[in-house]
Amino acid sequence: MPSDARRPAIPPAARLSANRGRDRLIRSPGCRANSTNPDNRSECKTMSLPNIEILDTDGAIRDAEAAVAGDTRSAFFRKAAVGGGAVLSSGAIMAMLPDLAMARKSTKQDIEILNFAYTLELLEAAFYEEAIRKADLSGDDLKLTRLLRSHEATHVSALKATIRQFGGKPISPPKFDFRGTTSDRKKFIDTAYVLENTGVSAYLGQATRIKSDALLAAAASIVTIEARHAAAIAVLRGSSPFNESDNSVTPDGAFDRARSMKRILKALDQTNFIKGF
Amino acid sequence: MSLPNIETLDIDGAIREAELAVAGDTRASFFRKAAVGGGAVLGSGAILGMLPTLAHAAPSAKQDIAILNYALTLEYLEAAFYDGAIKSGNLKGEVKQFTQLVLKHENIHVKALKATIKALNGKAVAEPKFNFKGTNTNPAKFVATSLVLENTGVHAYLGQVTRIQNPAILKAAGAILTTEARHAAAIAAVIGKSPFRDGTKTSVTPDGAFDVPFSMKRVLKAVGKTGFIK
Repeated sequence: MPSDARRPAIPPAARLSANRGRDRLIRSPGCRANSTNPDNRSECKTMSLPNIEILDTDGAIRDAEAAVAGDTRSAFFRKAAVGGGAVLSSGAIMAMLPDLAMARKSTKQDIEILNFAYTLELLEAAFYEEAIRKADLSGDDLKLTRLLRSHEATHVSALKATIRQFGGKPISPPKFDFRGTTSDRKKFIDTAYVLENTGVSAYLGQATRIKSDALLAAAASIVTIEARHAAAIAVLRGSSPFNESDNSVTPDGAFDRARSMKRILKALDQTNFIKGF
Repeated sequence: MSLPNIETLDIDGAIREAELAVAGDTRASFFRKAAVGGGAVLGSGAILGMLPTLAHAAPSAKQDIAILNYALTLEYLEAAFYDGAIKSGNLKGEVKQFTQLVLKHENIHVKALKATIKALNGKAVAEPKFNFKGTNTNPAKFVATSLVLENTGVHAYLGQVTRIQNPAILKAAGAILTTEARHAAAIAAVIGKSPFRDGTKTSVTPDGAFDVPFSMKRVLKAVGKTGFIK
């Protein structure tokens, strides 16, 4: 929609707060909660946001890693193909309906979803950028990582422009600390794998909440790329491109899993990659 | 040779209605015009208006069934293709293992789609008869064809996401769509091709950052050209 400077100000887009132990607040850019200047304090408006429980460890990442560790790609294929594997009952797809909240769609929510995607893409772009500098990659590893980085950078600028196009405000890019995962090839690849799969689940989790058809189409066109990323990294890693056990609805990888924004943000919190804004 | 056409999928005439009902502007092209006319700054690389605009009419339960049958047809094709490949006994090693797993997925997709159509009181299309003309029994042809088929599946699902009315179906379509993308990327990697290109010239945007939706018409035309459906 074309923006119009005379429309009433749209509330600031959702932001992630790095404040531990506090309710998640959304602060306008000019907010200085402790300022002695009343004008700065008055800038602090709050909106409701799903509460993020803060956990102490990187448990989620570790759990996901442990689930795939030790399987070479072909060993995985063999096991998965030969093993029983769940055959879906006839109600499998329709059974997904109950857990879909009948939430009201809105442009405001679309902007929040866009900023959510924007945050994830910013993180991935920064992660790959840093790995290229630090992880001493070469050959196929480096080639793929450069390509992944360029995709995420494209997603970042496209999402940022789209947020504005919707009349929203892109969040300020966070500061990241990747805690050594970008300086070691193995840690890098393991983390990249989890990040990409998280991205797939994150986008899938938003599909039924999006109001704008054009945005839905765009999100779909991105999520498939993230799935390709995940598969490509899995191949590099020597693990299965399909069955990341935390990710699939069925153990055999026939359906990817959607995750709520709350759950994704929680997982993000657990990485401690986001230092602040 | 009878080619698949819209009528074979369109049990309730829903698709035909949808195509006739399309008029004038698609939503995305409207945005483009409105944005330009309204003087808004789009910013470089905004997503809206970047992707091909696919015309469609209002979602409906009937259309959902037609879309499910469309997906079912493609899944039948993939499952039969992979099944024939395994049965030929000509696949070896990693390609064979990949195929066994992907076949399992496609069979699950077939079952799930049929069950969904039934749950919605629709009529599932019957499995077509296929002739893969040796493309699934010759290992080199097999992997190349598999790459195209899987990517076609991605384009096909992408082309339908905005047409689906029932959110449960949309969620399921999303869950299948990304799995097909993983298939495509995996087979590409196994044969040393880019996971972001589909073996043809035009389908993924040049830098590979966005997958491209294809209309049902375009996909059916492409499938028809293969001659796989007898």
